[in-house]
Amino acid sequence: MLAATKVDVAVFGASAVIVLAGAIGVVISANPVHAALSLVMTLFGVAVLFVAQEAHFLAAVQVIVYAGAIVVLFLFVIMLLGVDRRENVAREELRGQRPIAFLLGIATIAEFVLLTRGTSWVTGAESVVGPASGPGANVETLARSLFTRYLLAFEITSVLLVIAVVGAVVLARRPPPERPEEPEPLAVPERLHTPQLDDAAPVPATEVPAP
Amino acid sequence: MHAVLAAAQTLKAPDLDYFALAPEIVLTAVLVGILLLDVFVDETRKYLVTQVAGLGLLVSLVPVVALAANGADRSMLGGAYVVDNFALLVKALFLATGYVVLLMSSDYIGEGDYYEGEYSFLLLSSLLGMMVMGSSRDLITIFVALELLSIPAYLLAGWRKRDLRSNEACLKYYLLGVLASAVMLYGMSLIFGATGSTVLRTIGREVGGSVGEEPIVTLGIFFIVVGFAFKVSAVPFHFWAPDTYEGAPTPVTAFLSVASKAAGFVALLQLVYIGFFGREEVWGPLFWVLAALTMTVGNLVALRQTNVVRMLAYSSVAQAGYILVPFAVAGSNPAANATAQTAALVYLLIYAAMNLGAFAIVMAVARKTRSAEISSYGGLFTYAPGLTLLMSVFLFSLAGIPPLAGWFAKLYIFESALDAGTAAAVTLAVVAGLNAVIALFYYSAVAKEMWMRPVPDGDTTPIPVPPALAAALAFTAIVVVAVGVYPQAFARLGDLAQLTLR
Repeated sequence: MLAATKVDVAVFGASAVIVLAGAIGVVISANPVHAALSLVMTLFGVAVLFVAQEAHFLAAVQVIVYAGAIVVLFLFVIMLLGVDRRENVAREELRGQRPIAFLLGIATIAEFVLLTRGTSWVTGAESVVGPASGPGANVETLARSLFTRYLLAFEITSVLLVIAVVGAVVLARRPPPERPEEPEPLAVPERLHTPQLDDAAPVPATEVPAP
Repeated sequence: MHAVLAAAQTLKAPDLDYFALAPEIVLTAVLVGILLLDVFVDETRKYLVTQVAGLGLLVSLVPVVALAANGADRSMLGGAYVVDNFALLVKALFLATGYVVLLMSSDYIGEGDYYEGEYSFLLLSSLLGMMVMGSSRDLITIFVALELLSIPAYLLAGWRKRDLRSNEACLKYYLLGVLASAVMLYGMSLIFGATGSTVLRTIGREVGGSVGEEPIVTLGIFFIVVGFAFKVSAVPFHFWAPDTYEGAPTPVTAFLSVASKAAGFVALLQLVYIGFFGREEVWGPLFWVLAALTMTVGNLVALRQTNVVRMLAYSSVAQAGYILVPFAVAGSNPAANATAQTAALVYLLIYAAMNLGAFAIVMAVARKTRSAEISSYGGLFTYAPGLTLLMSVFLFSLAGIPPLAGWFAKLYIFESALDAGTAAAVTLAVVAGLNAVIALFYYSAVAKEMWMRPVPDGDTTPIPVPPALAAALAFTAIVVVAVGVYPQAFARLGDLAQLTLR
């Protein structure tokens, strides 16, 4: 494992600040569009962190899929639902929820700091990092890992996508509107052509719908 | 381009054992088949889809039985996917549960204003996730299997689209489920960071060694256990359960309270017994607190319920507490640890039968009374003596009265706690014993209502039970009574299906 240089530390520090600032922005923005844009900031910061870890493919995917497609999808939904709607952030649904959440958050952070001190990390043992291009590149290594070691998980994910499609259709589909009883307009001319003697009740003329 | 092609030839395809994967492959084929079938059958013949789905479940049971008869343990993808006796037993449990739920729901879904084809599809895909969960011995496979079994379950909980309570059920279950997944994934990333592997066996080796002493491993184990505590609705992570169970369609509630919960316990068994076994001082006390709280809170709140579905919801929370007892006492000595595994597995099998049976009765009664209030069960004996008798069997089995199956399940739980022999384990056994007494109150309250009270509206026309629902009732009742009389059968299954450590 390579020792972290000063540049590494500087890059990590800068992108960590970007990630955290974006995350805080998502939570505290009253305007949903601002929240979505803060999310882009966070995702870009994470992409930079991936580059610093030499995971170039992941960084590209992070920007294209998350910062690009998914946030744009969020924005679509926000626009469709009405961009001018603002949540009343000041209102507390549960009394005393915020101070308790704040205290618990502080406690969790303190716990993390205590626990991570003195932990020696063993990362890198099974990483799939390669150079940015050429033979044995990042993408190739990743694909190799995906189609050998994690093949089954990968295949199961495809079933998951089918479920997502079915689920979206089920949730979004409206039932067809209840049709008023139609007395089969086609049946009447047929009967007129081939009158049936055993028909007890002849078809009344009023049953034919007005066009 | 040449470079890419040259590299492509060197890719060695992973060694897949198609026989070991046969149950999942058959189930996936059935899934795709019913999705296509649903498109081509017209609205009045949708029951065909349900029938094909049920048949498909039985067909995928065939390779499970064949693999069990073959007997060899099969491992592939570097130990990430293992088919052993444990995996086969839980797969058979999930398939049988799925079949009973399908029997219970065929009339319910067919008569109501629901999408039938998609219902079967989602139920089967959730079962596929559970089947994969039974064999997953790798963090990533466990996570993907968990998502595969959860996402259809979120959708099914909201199947009564025009009912606000069903919407609430779906949304609560979804939001809390996703939160639990996130917490669990964070724990998994910490474990991966500390051990450098996602395969449980390697993690187990590392956690048992010097890496296990790292504080970060403690945090990882804690987060993963908390994530699964949501799934099995252990107190204090049970808040979604009563509302979701009440709002979801009743067959889905039965499915969630049995199959989904069992899948959570299966994952916990694998994680604890293979992955984290070296750190029992971390998860032991954690499970102790979860078990004691879950039993006590579940039972005490169940006492106050007036709706039978909510009562069963809290009862299933409490039952999860009993299943957590063996986890809390495992690892204190080798004998206790073997008994604990058997106890948890046997309890899961028996709980599945008795809880499904109780929900089937609730559905049968609701066909006439259109209500799930306990007061609507008044005088059930006068017009539906068969259902009353069966409901009493299921309720007293849940309470643990001999000679029904639930009695044997509880006995095994106590045995595992007493085998461990430590003061903490014995205390937990005492807590479980007190809870069994509390539980008897609310189970017998329903029984009293059915046998002794007058009919609330004086309407004593008999309840028509459709054949599919009757079949589900017969199957679960036979299991509950037979296992109660001859418990060695399930005990033997539980003993055979031990997860091997390391």
